[in-house]
Amino acid sequence: MKKETMIKINDVSMRFNLGIEKEFSLKQWFVNIFNPRKFKKEKQEFWALKNINFEIKTGEVIGFIGSNGAGKSTLLKIVAGVMKPTKGSIETYGNICPMIELGAGFDMQLTARENIYLNGAILGYSKDLLDSKFDEIIAFSELEEFLDVPVQNFSSGMIARLAFSIATIVDPEILIVDEILAVGDIAFQAKSEAKMMEMITGGTTVLYVSHSLEAIKKLCSKVVWLEKGNIKEIGNTKDICDKYENYTIKHMAGNYDI
Amino acid sequence: MIQKILYNFKKYKFLLQQLVSRDFKVKYKRSVLGILWSLLYPILMMAVLAIVFTNVFKFSTPGVNYLVYLIIGLVIFNYFSEASNLAMSSIVSNFSLINKVYMPKYVFPLSKCLFVGINFLLTLIPLYVVIIVSGTELNIYHLLLPYVFICLFMFTLGMGLLLATISVFLRDMFYIYGIIQTMWLYLTPVMYDISMIPENFQTLFKLNPLYQFINFARSIILYKNIPTIGQWAGCGVSAVVVLIFGIYIFRKKQDKFIYYV
Repeated sequence: MKKETMIKINDVSMRFNLGIEKEFSLKQWFVNIFNPRKFKKEKQEFWALKNINFEIKTGEVIGFIGSNGAGKSTLLKIVAGVMKPTKGSIETYGNICPMIELGAGFDMQLTARENIYLNGAILGYSKDLLDSKFDEIIAFSELEEFLDVPVQNFSSGMIARLAFSIATIVDPEILIVDEILAVGDIAFQAKSEAKMMEMITGGTTVLYVSHSLEAIKKLCSKVVWLEKGNIKEIGNTKDICDKYENYTIKHMAGNYDI
Repeated sequence: MIQKILYNFKKYKFLLQQLVSRDFKVKYKRSVLGILWSLLYPILMMAVLAIVFTNVFKFSTPGVNYLVYLIIGLVIFNYFSEASNLAMSSIVSNFSLINKVYMPKYVFPLSKCLFVGINFLLTLIPLYVVIIVSGTELNIYHLLLPYVFICLFMFTLGMGLLLATISVFLRDMFYIYGIIQTMWLYLTPVMYDISMIPENFQTLFKLNPLYQFINFARSIILYKNIPTIGQWAGCGVSAVVVLIFGIYIFRKKQDKFIYYV
């Protein structure tokens, strides 16, 4: 396969304002006007990502590792287009399927049938695609009997099954995965995991966040290790995973005095 | 640029359609009469107002039927009021979606303005029933009314985009706008005629875009005139200016919405 650049991340930085919540109301606003010192203090900044640079080529499966708050999810959201970076830019070549949060946009009052179209539209699928894949979605989710039942009467496992089935009907060029999603009961978990593995190993470009080093080692061709918004290491899966493991063990030992 | 906008619009037309139909389904799902309420509700509201204003307050307008006069104003004002309110809260109430999936954010205010727009078109049915029952004759100029409806839609969408943007950064706007709307209703000649206002204030009242729209519709339906060039321009200019301003502010600020979740 020809290796073309699929995603290019150019010097991306992302800033969040931590104290932002306090600026929400007029009352606070007035208080702040008369208290400039406090106003300044609230503008505390937090850089979730700092000058991130790398490229992803066609067919690569990139794993992202790092502790909580390292900026992994923020980076995925920027690639998915949900957030615009404060600085820098992102270029993507191909349609993206973000499997970040399933079932976003389900309306609990609507039936499964209605939600397939609503959720599909929210994910950017066309009506034609949904019409042609409708039976496949239903068959995969195994919810034939409940097609015209409002989703609010579903169990959470059933909702997750429906959401998973809708999200995975496309053949995306870029797949973004935040942890392997195994949803539903044991049988469906096996089925959904197999489906995700099929999507990941099917030759598409994958960005994959996980805390399971096992899964990362098994699936990824390259690993990016993020720490406090910086790329700490980038490269070969095995090397980086080993380094990360050592680092975490050392850190834990430091914290807990083992 | 225009090509890109058209491409995007085509791509998200299906989403827009889904959002509007969702609003309809949810609105009427649990009621026995369902979609019939879209007709029944305005009819009953009009009946109540008709009784209050013609029998209790004894308002009247010389030469024309007061009830028709009142209802034209109310139908237009209610569209603006309901659509701008829903559009204002559409961004904040869909934060959980905006935070997770990429989609153009304008679809939310736009879908609300369209949803209320469909309801608005349905309320034209009882309006025409009242027009005919009251003995007000129809005329060919009624065909010009879609112009003012489009202007009203554009103006409302512009206001909706503007309000949605402000309310993301300042949640107090939900309360402030409630008060502004009540003031706006009484400052718009909906229930009374502009001739009841002292003359030196009349020009000021005429600057109100909603007055322009209502006045345009009344000229045609009640006074059977072709609206003057000033009326055409008044509607068109206020609609275009407010829509462009709303789009400008919304586009400029939309990437910051995510920080205020």
